[in-house]
Amino acid sequence: MMEESDAVAVAKAREGDQDAFRVLVERHSLRLFQLAYRMTGNEQDAEDMVQETFLRAYNRLDRFESRAGFGTWLHRIAANCSLDLLRRQKRRGDRERTVEFDPEEAIPMILSEAPAPDQQLFHAELQQKVESVMQELTPMERTAFVLRHFEGQSIEEIGSTLGAGPGATKQSIFRAVQKMRRALEPVMNASS
Amino acid sequence: MNHLTEEQLILHHYGEAEGRGLIASHLQVCESCRTRYQALQRVIEAVNTLTVPPRAENYGAEIWRQLCPRIARTAAARRSDLWRLFQWPRWALAGGLALLVLAAFVAGRFWPQRGLTTGPLTETSRRPISRQARERVLLKEIGDHLERSQLALIELINSKTNGVVDISLEQSLARQLVDVNRLYRQTAARLGDAGMASVLEDLERTLIEISNSPSKLSSTELAEFRRRIDTDDTLFKIKVVSSQVRARERDAARELAGKRS
Repeated sequence: MMEESDAVAVAKAREGDQDAFRVLVERHSLRLFQLAYRMTGNEQDAEDMVQETFLRAYNRLDRFESRAGFGTWLHRIAANCSLDLLRRQKRRGDRERTVEFDPEEAIPMILSEAPAPDQQLFHAELQQKVESVMQELTPMERTAFVLRHFEGQSIEEIGSTLGAGPGATKQSIFRAVQKMRRALEPVMNASS
Repeated sequence: MNHLTEEQLILHHYGEAEGRGLIASHLQVCESCRTRYQALQRVIEAVNTLTVPPRAENYGAEIWRQLCPRIARTAAARRSDLWRLFQWPRWALAGGLALLVLAAFVAGRFWPQRGLTTGPLTETSRRPISRQARERVLLKEIGDHLERSQLALIELINSKTNGVVDISLEQSLARQLVDVNRLYRQTAARLGDAGMASVLEDLERTLIEISNSPSKLSSTELAEFRRRIDTDDTLFKIKVVSSQVRARERDAARELAGKRS
């Protein structure tokens, strides 16, 4: 059977067809989770963001303009939901924690793939450093960086999600990468 | 051309820098900038070590399972919001309707006979509502009530627990449903529908329990609720009775249409 397009499913969902909305949920959930996880850095938060995104989308279906792709529209909602969450957490000070490298966590990975333990350990250390520095970014920097680096969105698209002009959006990406460089370069230089 | 700034290098990497051609030419001839650019690219590449935890193959279906009751509730709330624009609150209306239907049933037992004994003055315009019409209204209202109750219970048992769960919304809905449920249960008992009365009695007990519990439940208390609802098969019974009511409603509608034609 031919897969129903997003546009057709959206049109049916607008008419109250919940099964059509189910098709959209099943089709887009995984990619939304990936975006939400990169934005929040936490599985439970990402799960919540996926649900929140679909609920918001359902409530605003009549505002969706079909000239933009439904996936793009959903990703924009997800980015906004995650940004709101990051800002709330920042205000409450929830994200003041830092991720420290724990060699014990890396050991099972090293044991399971014996060929290059040094490389594996370095990879694990680098990953934890990346997670740590991502948490230190401001909500705006993190959002701009994730949308540019992982989602490949243009400055204009990111700016529209953030409600910021191109200059401020570029600055956010620039500052995020700068913080990454400062945190990661010592680890990378030590390994070479 | 002066050496490139860090900002220019970063934006160039993402294809967002102004004067991309000039920057590219400079990188070809300036070893210092090229070395800095390559180091920057290695750092940006390292960010890709950030992995996303994998999800199960049926992740989308799982999300829908959790989302479905919330969507249904949103849709129901939207309908009732529309209703509220020009009507009383829905629960009050449902309660009122139940009373009217109940009254119509009780009254209907006497009016037709009285009409027959009064002789030749029985005009079509004075005829009471037919038994089929009354039954259809009652079945429709009971069907809606059972669906609302089912939704409230599904919403409650699917609540997420992060230590404590706030069920105040579900409680307020349960309180509204209890009053209406009582009227339907009494009507069903009076009409001799023991099966329906028994399911409505079980439902009433569950709704009262939800209404009277603390508004914040621990995960253990919520698990206990879920267990009780599962053990008593409350949801299953409601579902079965609800579909029976809908089938009877359709039959009543067909019967009514047959009589009219």
